[in-house]
Amino acid sequence: MLPALTKYRHAFLVGLQSNLVYRWNFAIRAFFSLFHLIVVFILWNAAFHGKTEIGGFNLAQTMTYFITLLVLQFFISAFSEDYQISEEIRNGLINQFLLKPINYYLYRFSIFVAARIVSGGLALLPILLAFPLLRDLLDFPTDTWRIAYAIPALIMSAFIQFTIAYCFGLLTFWFLEIQSFIILSLAIETLLAGMVFPLDLLDARLFEISQYLPYYYQMYFPASIITGRATDQAEILRNLGIQFFWVVALLIIAQVLWKRGLRRHTAVGG
Amino acid sequence: MKLLQYFRLWLACARYSITRTMMFRFDFLMWGLVELFWMGVNVALVSVIYQHTDSIAGWNKYQMLLLVGSSMIVQRLLMGFFWSNLFELGRNIRSGHFDFFLAQPGNLMFMASTRKVELEGILNVFVAIAIVVYAAGQLQLHPSATTLALYVFMILCGLVIHYSIVALSVSITFWIIKSEGLEHSYFTLTEFSRLPREAYRGLFKGAASAVFVYALPVVIVSNVPASLLIENALNVTNALWLLAVTVLWFALAVFVFHRGLRRYSSASS
Repeated sequence: MLPALTKYRHAFLVGLQSNLVYRWNFAIRAFFSLFHLIVVFILWNAAFHGKTEIGGFNLAQTMTYFITLLVLQFFISAFSEDYQISEEIRNGLINQFLLKPINYYLYRFSIFVAARIVSGGLALLPILLAFPLLRDLLDFPTDTWRIAYAIPALIMSAFIQFTIAYCFGLLTFWFLEIQSFIILSLAIETLLAGMVFPLDLLDARLFEISQYLPYYYQMYFPASIITGRATDQAEILRNLGIQFFWVVALLIIAQVLWKRGLRRHTAVGG
Repeated sequence: MKLLQYFRLWLACARYSITRTMMFRFDFLMWGLVELFWMGVNVALVSVIYQHTDSIAGWNKYQMLLLVGSSMIVQRLLMGFFWSNLFELGRNIRSGHFDFFLAQPGNLMFMASTRKVELEGILNVFVAIAIVVYAAGQLQLHPSATTLALYVFMILCGLVIHYSIVALSVSITFWIIKSEGLEHSYFTLTEFSRLPREAYRGLFKGAASAVFVYALPVVIVSNVPASLLIENALNVTNALWLLAVTVLWFALAVFVFHRGLRRYSSASS
């Protein structure tokens, strides 16, 4: 058990170093998300004109939701993991993992965790700089019970995010070019994970349906716990169950894709 | 070279691109869906937000849809005709493949930006137009022929502005070689074009509002033609401003591109 952990600890440490190389990429991206935040603010500020609440939340609470999403994105979202995996399959780097006692999923996951620590840390910089401007817009609930639900929700979200990206990366076994798949699914994820608008603003029926999809648990679910959009503890508990189901289901899909994909794989290069 | 010759040249490139696209039909279908879905995301935002409010900065749902649709037409035109060319231009400058264009007879900027045509982008222009037509129908607009002609002209001005902005940022590659995050910055910028101009007024007072609306040309790119269609009347000041901005940005892009070209020294490989 212990030596196994050491292996992935090394992968993690290497991941830390290699992601620090991309620090400017992350910083630029975080900087541009502040512009995105301006757009979001202008839009919702105008929508709230003459209103105190939309969907039961005021402007500050709505903005708190979007700011939380922005921060969470850098901590739990998959960024370019799908492309990296695709690249490793295409140029044959993956072959070495077939010969060594290393689980490719765990190896990539260790690097993913390292990458999110780097990107999350870097994203905090522009946000801290903008904090004096954002402070008036932040309105978090103070219930302490939320922490107990938010932590497992966040961890499982990270798993769902990474595993979906991992599966898309593995599609390279079948398709030469996976970029269109990724961007297509990104559009669906962006919408159904609540990145465009809080999902609770949907019709009750659509909102109900969205809760059974994995996207709901990528972003909206932990954000709704943290920002107070989810209030019913029994419902949160039920949704944690659905989230857990999706984690397991996606892990199984990933495993099947990996097994099937390797059968098609012809080790090119090395 | 004569204008007609350039047109023929472009036509030949377009024919080649379309033949190529038809060779990779699945890819074409996927990329077509990608753009369609992203447009769907924007339309979904409008429809959801208007379930909870009647007006955003004085614009009702269908006016907003018309604005978003207009912004999409410009963006899809850019995607269809120029985007991948400009994107590759940056890469070619970095890798030295740009030499290939230097050897071609004809205006370099033209050659480099019109080599490929993306059919899926062009097809999605029609989807964007359909959104505008639908919104105009819901608003019961009956634009005159002059209004329509002006609208089309303004959309083309918008295309020139977007083209210039991207060409300008790609030209920076001549100096700094590594220009990352270009794609990201463009898409962030276009987000501003889907907002009504009046929404900015509520946010900043006086000069700050002017800077935001006028200095960021993407805002007027969609707002001026959309307002024209909705009001069926030409606001001369806005139209002139759009025209001036178009000329200015295009001139700037041409200037910077050619300045940068002087620095191009190929790559050793």
